[in-house]
Amino acid sequence: MEILNGFLDAIKGIYLSSGLVSLDWQNYVMIAISCFLLFLAIKKQYEPLLLLPIAFGMLLVNLYPGIMAAPHINLVEIASANDPAATGHVVQEIGGKVYYEDPTYGGLLYYLYQGVKLGIYPPLIFLGIGCMTDFGPLIANPKSLILGAAAQIGIFITFTGAIFLGFTEAESGAIGIIGGADGPTAIYVTTKLAPHLLGSIAIAAYSYMALVPIIQPPIMKALTTKKERSVVMEQLRPVSRLEKILFPIIVVILIAIFLPDAAPLVGMLMLGNLFKESGVVERIAKAAQNELMNIITIFLGTTVGATASGTNFLKLDTLKIIALGLIAFCMGTAFGLLFGKIMYKLTGGKINPLIGSAGVSAVPMAARVAQKVGQQENPANFLLMHAMGPNVAGVIGSAVAAGVLLNVVG
Amino acid sequence: MFLNGISVIQPIAAELTLAEKGISAAKVILTGFVVVFSVLLLLIGVIKLYSLIVGKAQSIGSKRTVKSDAPAVKLPAVQRETEPEENTPAEEGIPEEVVAVIAAAVATMYGGRGRAKIKSIKRAGGRSAWANAGVLDNTRPF
Repeated sequence: MEILNGFLDAIKGIYLSSGLVSLDWQNYVMIAISCFLLFLAIKKQYEPLLLLPIAFGMLLVNLYPGIMAAPHINLVEIASANDPAATGHVVQEIGGKVYYEDPTYGGLLYYLYQGVKLGIYPPLIFLGIGCMTDFGPLIANPKSLILGAAAQIGIFITFTGAIFLGFTEAESGAIGIIGGADGPTAIYVTTKLAPHLLGSIAIAAYSYMALVPIIQPPIMKALTTKKERSVVMEQLRPVSRLEKILFPIIVVILIAIFLPDAAPLVGMLMLGNLFKESGVVERIAKAAQNELMNIITIFLGTTVGATASGTNFLKLDTLKIIALGLIAFCMGTAFGLLFGKIMYKLTGGKINPLIGSAGVSAVPMAARVAQKVGQQENPANFLLMHAMGPNVAGVIGSAVAAGVLLNVVG
Repeated sequence: MFLNGISVIQPIAAELTLAEKGISAAKVILTGFVVVFSVLLLLIGVIKLYSLIVGKAQSIGSKRTVKSDAPAVKLPAVQRETEPEENTPAEEGIPEEVVAVIAAAVATMYGGRGRAKIKSIKRAGGRSAWANAGVLDNTRPF
């Protein structure tokens, strides 16, 4: 009988500590959402490199919230400092009573999350991106930078929408940056301005980046004429190695001097690019764009997903953020295109305005969309390299916009 | 809640009035527009300037190289006509098209910087070209 009671008590204990008792309905809704995101990542291959770890982090934290738990110290009362129970523990006296400290360690993802919280992972991701980016098209056609700047206007307009919807200035800045279509920048700014919105903002940003091929083409067709979309641009001039080496050095000097808040992101981006272009640190360049980038992507994706717990994510604010993020994205695309049209007029029809839409970053997806839409009008038209100019300019532009937001509302 | 380690604390901020919100939005739009465009326009200027300088420096450098090479060009016409057959760096049986492709690949790798000269082209024995590339890739860093 005693054995049976012991067995039943053990089963009851296991049941009471299980998720069946401790999870609430919000956790189950989030589990369903994370499964849907896993489906999008695996079956539809929407940004799978990030969406998959994000969705799995979301799944984990809603199944077992303790995985994200912060460490804490329990004070256990003891009779005296010599009590054997206190051996090996820090003892302290409060109000005449003696306690020993009994620490409880945090969950695995809590510790990995510190890289996000402290703003370490996004610049490291930028280091890898820098190693993979060819700024040649931008150097060959520096005017692309105007399109990269124009596409950032959406960020600031969305800021206005967010502030009028009841968000604080800092929160509005973090929401607006979704329009930069740059995941690491969005995460970096959000951790500084509104860390409590990180889950919603990161998921909105990456979802829209994955949906670029669906979101952008209707806007591109609505804002340009058939004639404009058919423009075949002149071939870009070849860029010398020396120019490519000087580019990251000059950019980092200028941006770090004029806008120090953007220095961590731009600095790492340009360091990575210098690794690539210098040609003398091949091993480091390979490590930064492969091993380091992949490791950081795992940590970043999983821990950002783990911030989306049921109670934190299922709020009206999340829906507002998702709607505002879409507006930011559309506005960025529209302004890039409108400036593309201005350049089309000013150059006497030499610039295809479609490349302006690539100014929203989302490298290289947005450039590929410009190429695809251009080829629908003229199959012999190859806009990809021309669109890569505004595309990489958008990365610099969104980092500069992030610096502005951190400075003005941070 | 378990998430107390990840700053779930909402910022305590006084509710802004409509006018204050408008002022804040205008301030951010204006600052953002001006700063982003100024920085990127400055970059355009700097890129154009240094591209111009680098281009000029490189064209001067290449002119000097041509000048220093000038005596070599003045070879007797007869010698130049007869030599190509004897000096063909390629091993027998390698078609001219393959030699041209190899020369083009070398020129692409070195661009205008190095004046590479192909001295010999031999058929690779032993490992396949892919295996050689793999070995090179793994050993070059050391």
